[in-house]
Amino acid sequence: MNPSLKLGLVLIISFELAFMQSVIANLVVAALGLLYLLFKHVSIKKILWMFLVSIIPVFGTWFSFYAHGSGDAMHSAWLLSTRVYAYIFLGGILSYTGTVDELLGSLEQNCRLPSKFVYGTLGAFNFAPRVVVTVKQMKTAAMMRGEALHVWSPEIFFKSILISLRWSDNLSQAMVSHGFNETATRTHYDTYAIPWWNWLVAGVCLVGLQFLAFSGLF
Amino acid sequence: MNRQTTSNKPSALSYSLRDIAFIALTGVFCGAIFFGTSLSYNFLAAGMAAIGLGPFANDVLLGLWMIAGPLAAMLTQKIGASTIGELLGSFVEMILGGQWGAATLISGLIQGVGNGLGFAMTGYKRFDKLGLLLSTITGTLVTFGWSMINEGYGKYNFGFILLLLLVRFISIGFFAGVLVYWINKLVEKSGILNRD
Amino acid sequence: MDKLVINDLTFRYKNSGPDIIKDLDFTLQLGTFNVLYGPSGCGKSTLMKIIAGLYPEFSGHVTSGKMYIDSEDVDDWNTQDFSKHVAFLFQNPNDQFSMTTVKREFIFTLENLGLPIEQIEETIDRSLERVGILNFKDRKLDTLSGGELQKVSLAITLAMNSDLIMLDEPFACIDIKSRKQLLELLKDLQENDHKTILITDHDLMGYQGIVDDLYHFDDGQVQPVLKPAEVFATYQKENRQLLFDKPGDTVESIIDLHELNLQNGAKSLINSASVDVFKGKMILLTGENGTGKSTLFSALTRLHDYRGSIKYLKKDILKYNQRKYARYVGLIFQDSQMQYLKLTVEDEIKLSLKHTNYPDFWTDDVVEDYLKQLNLAHLKDHVVYQLSGGQKKKLQIFEMLILGDPVLLMDEPLAGLDLHSTKTVMKLIKTVASEQELTVLMISHQLGGLQDFFDYHLQLKNQCLTYTEVLNYESIS
Ligand SMILES: Nc1ncnc2c1ncn2[C@@H]1O[C@H](COP(=O)(O)OP(=O)(O)OP(=O)(O)O)[C@@H](O)[C@H]1O
Ligand SMILES: Nc1ncnc2c1ncn2[C@@H]1O[C@H](COP(=O)(O)OP(=O)(O)OP(=O)(O)O)[C@@H](O)[C@H]1O
Ligand SMILES: [Mg+2]
Ligand SMILES: [Mg+2]
Repeated sequence: MNPSLKLGLVLIISFELAFMQSVIANLVVAALGLLYLLFKHVSIKKILWMFLVSIIPVFGTWFSFYAHGSGDAMHSAWLLSTRVYAYIFLGGILSYTGTVDELLGSLEQNCRLPSKFVYGTLGAFNFAPRVVVTVKQMKTAAMMRGEALHVWSPEIFFKSILISLRWSDNLSQAMVSHGFNETATRTHYDTYAIPWWNWLVAGVCLVGLQFLAFSGLF
Repeated sequence: MNRQTTSNKPSALSYSLRDIAFIALTGVFCGAIFFGTSLSYNFLAAGMAAIGLGPFANDVLLGLWMIAGPLAAMLTQKIGASTIGELLGSFVEMILGGQWGAATLISGLIQGVGNGLGFAMTGYKRFDKLGLLLSTITGTLVTFGWSMINEGYGKYNFGFILLLLLVRFISIGFFAGVLVYWINKLVEKSGILNRD
Repeated sequence: MDKLVINDLTFRYKNSGPDIIKDLDFTLQLGTFNVLYGPSGCGKSTLMKIIAGLYPEFSGHVTSGKMYIDSEDVDDWNTQDFSKHVAFLFQNPNDQFSMTTVKREFIFTLENLGLPIEQIEETIDRSLERVGILNFKDRKLDTLSGGELQKVSLAITLAMNSDLIMLDEPFACIDIKSRKQLLELLKDLQENDHKTILITDHDLMGYQGIVDDLYHFDDGQVQPVLKPAEVFATYQKENRQLLFDKPGDTVESIIDLHELNLQNGAKSLINSASVDVFKGKMILLTGENGTGKSTLFSALTRLHDYRGSIKYLKKDILKYNQRKYARYVGLIFQDSQMQYLKLTVEDEIKLSLKHTNYPDFWTDDVVEDYLKQLNLAHLKDHVVYQLSGGQKKKLQIFEMLILGDPVLLMDEPLAGLDLHSTKTVMKLIKTVASEQELTVLMISHQLGGLQDFFDYHLQLKNQCLTYTEVLNYESIS
């Protein structure tokens, strides 16, 4: 499915789900999401990980409504803990069935997102592995001087800004020297079309969602 | 050839490629720093959950998710920077393997808009203590409103809701307020942003 | 015909700052091979970025002057017009790219120029073929060495069809072999593809016979060198030799490597190395580019995974508490700013004094004395991020020496320092190290002026680490 359309659909469903009060709707969405992931051959390991990582928060949510909820506390407890799973599998669709390149490329072509946003972001993403290494280095460097950096230390963010500044300067100059110009028209090596059946699937999903939303299920 | 540099006299609305890359990169850094602590999140969440205070784990750490936005606003002083910063930040979190998937993106948008409102109230003129203070207040209220709907906070009893609100304000006030203020002060003193 | 004409150009970074380029006149003839040399920091990179159209777009102000490329006034060119005429290879080859693979970078570039998609694949293959690196097409950029990255850059300039190719110190981090290959390739492009080539460098070794025109940059201006042969003659290489001791049986070891295997991605760097690092000794570590020296340091500081064992004082380094271990084995990062935690020079030094292992040694007078020797004493209130490259390096080394960690790893601390600063820094390291019985392991490509400072020499070659007594190298006489 077209990445932009997929993003839009997932966002609409997630947003609407927040207002829906139905456990069954949550379960249906979660199950459909899971089916899509399986259909797309997302590895079982990743899917199991999604299940596992959410156990603590799901249990936490369930138990706190059980303990502190008002009104129909049991319904709230089930409603909100199943909602977590719906979100997680919807999220999995975005994270595991497409790449950032595809998504940004599609946003550029299908949604007319200005190219400077597309490539500024893409360039930054391509730095992600280096960023992770650099953060580790910053922490080690501080320890070597007898200090510890925590998430609440301004220094660690300050240094990140310092490096972001330098990298963004380099990155934009590199792009410009390879011909990038935000006002010029670009060609597209990978093209992202939205075939008719994509619209059909999206339509069916949305209609189904409205049915779930207004049928007053538990 | 007295070509005027476009980047030296930017309007508050126009983003250059470099601005966008900068905001996105700080977002990636915030994400990476944050994920260095996601382990402690799970510990905290487990502990809290065991005593029936599951949602507090979220609220205590929520401010951490919201550093990128106000930081982008303070550093670039541009309209909409906090929304873009937060949105890019949450995009990173989603891709780097955030637990909440698509919900991260929506929360990112809501957090960014929430923070941005504070700066908007000053007419995008006060990127200082006042702007930050307002931004933490609007940030807290807007995100809490969303939690009422999305995470069902409205269904807790009243005392519990107030407590959650307070904890959230403290978290956002510290991370997206005080900490951002400190960071910004360091940046100003260091002179690294002076481009003149 | 002239490829490039610059008249009366003046440029400064800050409105209030000094003119980096002053009333400069410069002309390049079509299809020629040109070299521009000059001392570090004189403004070579700045001039190239102006010619490439990156400045003043990204930084600084042109306060006067005219520039013509292919006889066209560039006043109303946008950045893309520049990129179609002028190719610019950055000083650091890693800064050249924004995508993840060679192919992706090509596609990005060609899309920018609006090339019809049917031609993209063919253009990529043709350009890579011309440079002889078709097999790199699907490689990830971060797995390529500096020299390989430069070749990819050149292939991209061919695809973009720009006929003025500028290279900013292309050989700064490249070994002799790759340097020779690249020079041959550039000459080939000039002669057979009629490209105009401009290189900046501060080492003129190997250019004689290739270069048509030589220019010298000094005091904001460029002057053609009238008798290049005389200049080249002063850059003849001479073979030199450094001699070291062989570690005896009596020396005590502080770090033991046993069956160490190091890898970066899929690339194997060190294969089953077993050597000791000796306590209280100064050890020089050398090896060609990309052999894995920096990666070895990362492993020693627990920043990189490895197989086999590394022991500090007979105990596995992974078994130490992380914060404690960081104070046993310190690393001087290649990027000085990585090391800083405070804003001013004074605060940086205070922080080191707070944690020093030798508080009795570092009295105020001693510190002051060293600061004077390093020429940093008058800069105490200075913000560290606004120091010059050399000053940053000196401060960084000094503050790490104050801490007095038992083992100090130094990754090319001398790069970019002039000969005088090199001597000062080496003397500082040597005295403090012997005073506090520190063990120093230093990576350096620059070998001039190092005689007498080191006890041993550790060589990384063919994935093996060995102590050797003789180190031959080429040096400028
Ligand atoms: N972005 C900048 N802002 C302010 N000053 C700068 C900036 N970049 C460089 N300078 C200063 O301008 C001068 C010229 O720098 P440039 O990088 O052009 O020198 P260079 O000849 O290329 O030196 P090197 O041989 O070390 O690469 C230096 O004194 C440097 O400190
Ligand atoms: N993520 C990666 N995947 C694969 N190879 C990598 C990766 N990162 C670095 N390398 C390669 O690992 C090799 C070792 O790099 P390292 O920086 O340790 O070399 P070095 O000996 O310090 O070289 P130099 O003298 O240039 O500093 C290089 O060839 C580099 O291209
Ligand atoms: Mg330079
Ligand atoms: Mg190295």
